[in-house]
Amino acid sequence: MSAAITHTVLGIDGSYPLLYLVWLLPLVGAIVLWAFGPQLKSFGGPVGAALVGTAFVAALVSWNDATQTSGALGGAHAPMFSWLPGFAFGLLFDRLALIWTLIITGVGFLIHVYSIGYMAGDRAFARFFAYLNFFVFAMLTLVLSDNFVGLLVGWGLVGLASYFLIGFWSERPTAVAAARKAFVINVFGDVGILFAVIVIVAHVGSIGYGDVFGNAAHAFTSGELFIVCIALFVGCAAKSAQVPLHTWLPDAMEGPTPVSALIHAATMVTAGVYLIARCAPLWTASAEARELVGVIGALTALAGAILGIAQWDIKRILAYSTMSQIGYMIMGVGVGAFSAGVLHFFTHAFFKAELFLGAGIVIHNLANEQDVRRMGGLRKQMPFAFIAILVGVLAICGVPGFSGYFSKDAVLYGTLQHGHPWLYAVGVVTAGITAYYMFRLLFVTFFGQFRGNVDPSDLGIRHPELAGIADPAERLGHEGDEHEHAGKEHGTHAPAWIMSAPVAALIPFSIGIGWLAFGGAASPWQTFFAPVFPAAPATAEAAAPIPELFSGIIVLVVVAAGFALAYLRYGTRGALADSVARLRAETVRMPAILVNAYYFDAAIDAIIVKPATALGRFFGNVVDPVVIDGGVREVAHSATWFGHFFRSFQTGLVRGYALYLVFGVACFVVYYAVIGSGR
Amino acid sequence: MSPSAFDVPMESYIALSAVIFFLGVIGVIVRRNPLIMLMSIELMFNAANLALITFAKAWVNATGHIFAFLVITVAASEAAIGLAIVVIVFRRSKNVDVDEIATLHG
Repeated sequence: MSAAITHTVLGIDGSYPLLYLVWLLPLVGAIVLWAFGPQLKSFGGPVGAALVGTAFVAALVSWNDATQTSGALGGAHAPMFSWLPGFAFGLLFDRLALIWTLIITGVGFLIHVYSIGYMAGDRAFARFFAYLNFFVFAMLTLVLSDNFVGLLVGWGLVGLASYFLIGFWSERPTAVAAARKAFVINVFGDVGILFAVIVIVAHVGSIGYGDVFGNAAHAFTSGELFIVCIALFVGCAAKSAQVPLHTWLPDAMEGPTPVSALIHAATMVTAGVYLIARCAPLWTASAEARELVGVIGALTALAGAILGIAQWDIKRILAYSTMSQIGYMIMGVGVGAFSAGVLHFFTHAFFKAELFLGAGIVIHNLANEQDVRRMGGLRKQMPFAFIAILVGVLAICGVPGFSGYFSKDAVLYGTLQHGHPWLYAVGVVTAGITAYYMFRLLFVTFFGQFRGNVDPSDLGIRHPELAGIADPAERLGHEGDEHEHAGKEHGTHAPAWIMSAPVAALIPFSIGIGWLAFGGAASPWQTFFAPVFPAAPATAEAAAPIPELFSGIIVLVVVAAGFALAYLRYGTRGALADSVARLRAETVRMPAILVNAYYFDAAIDAIIVKPATALGRFFGNVVDPVVIDGGVREVAHSATWFGHFFRSFQTGLVRGYALYLVFGVACFVVYYAVIGSGR
Repeated sequence: MSPSAFDVPMESYIALSAVIFFLGVIGVIVRRNPLIMLMSIELMFNAANLALITFAKAWVNATGHIFAFLVITVAASEAAIGLAIVVIVFRRSKNVDVDEIATLHG
């Protein structure tokens, strides 16, 4: 431990009652809904939504607390209590936390409202909102903490909330398995962060962000700093679905669609981005960590996008696109383009939530059909969902003017500015693939003829039960009056306003929010984050070999190519007329490696699960019965043996006892004779 | 040892004491009649008394005499208790062989 630890706190100390309101309202909601859910009945949803909405308003009202500056300090810091020296707990509400808090409570509120419609009639309606509120609380704990331990607590709670929500329809074995998988992988990440916290405490002697960042330069050697960053990144990778810990995210789509939107698109999976952005001083100081994280991010972006091509389940396509987009964010914050990475998080939260909620409307109206091969032509029946998803697709592809354009370009150009041309190339290619699979989704789902009444085998679906085809009887928890008449024979119906209103609210943000970053270094976004992130080492514009405009044009050309390819394969008049045969051919010819997601699950199974199972079996069949049980048994046996041995002396013969007595006396005599002779 | 009426060397007394003691020991171990065993125990007590008196006289120290009285007292009470036990056991089992009374064996 270094002797010269300077104590600093990020943010300006003070009492901020509103901050506690923001933080604790969702917890109150969770407890109330948990305890009184059955009594509240259908009021559970509005109550949960109202509390999160109030938290959002409170966060907006505290805007000035977060943006206040005093010298080098910025934001609000509310100390709570000190447990041990160095272990001071409190809330930190600075600009970074503000952005996350607004997204968590704002987008979270919209998703709560949407869920009132989506989950109507569910048996455990109130419990669902208890989980949602609990999730929001956990996420706020993570984001508002002013220290690493609070962050870790929030991190773990978020994983728990995610487990609850993914496995919400606990009647479905696949949902339970997915929940367990997500939880196990997330806990693996928690262990990484715990390890980092231990190293930090050992070297700095404090868990506060301010102390750690202020003393990082002299408390750690560069090797130790690298270890800390990597340990933290293990947590990020698990939470943010980065290769090779991404496998839980597609499976997590087993949860209800609002959950996919809230957790697996807008908020939870971006916790890794938050952590890296929060620990920007550490990453700035460790070039190796930046390199590694950037590479992993780019790899994830590319791998996720390629897998997106091969999916037929509308939610899985979006799940892989989420993974890919988070790859972008991680790449951005990883290489040191922090504000660009955070911007991509910010815009992504809107358009991805919109995509998921739009997809949710489609799924809801098709009686839980998720396979895009059995959709088609929905543009006419569901114009609203079509517009919502169209806007989302345009945004995620980075069409100029839409929000994704600004953020993706910022991230890509950031990689160039920080001297990673290869990551830039991967990112540009990924942008093209993104355009391809997103427009594929759009064309297959919304254009041509409705294929819901086509025999699945004509579409190449060999095992309907494995292909994500809806089986209403299987989804017990989702049965309700509303769904009974939502069957295919009744066709499709327009979404209720309660579901369309949140989507409508997201549309303007998906389009316009990116303009905040318009104007380079002078843009509102850059000015907003100027006091937060340290100037990265290679931030000079001159470091980039091409100007930003040129980079943008390259990206645009690649995206246009991706779109053109998707249009030629799925969107032309001929392709749409022939869609059944074409989809069948594509399904049959789909490479196995993509269908099986590069065999990551199989590899993890072979490398970790199988040996672990074998080890467990070894301990269960050999070590436990032989060594542990055997040891206990032998102790018992030896006690019996000793008992028998000593019993043999207890003859009950008085003369025998007398003999022992004599023998004992003789021993004393001999002993003292020997001692006496020794003198 | 001061020259006195008993002009016998101390070693002889000790040797006699040891002989009586071992006679007692052998009696306790070998004989099976409880009365004989009690008498053998008395023999051992008295062998010890003889040794105590001898040493007391040899070293002109009264402690030995006092201990001899103590041993006599202990021997008396031992005889009383021992005889009582023997009588009770005999009433119960009509038996005077200690080897037959082994109900406390393990």
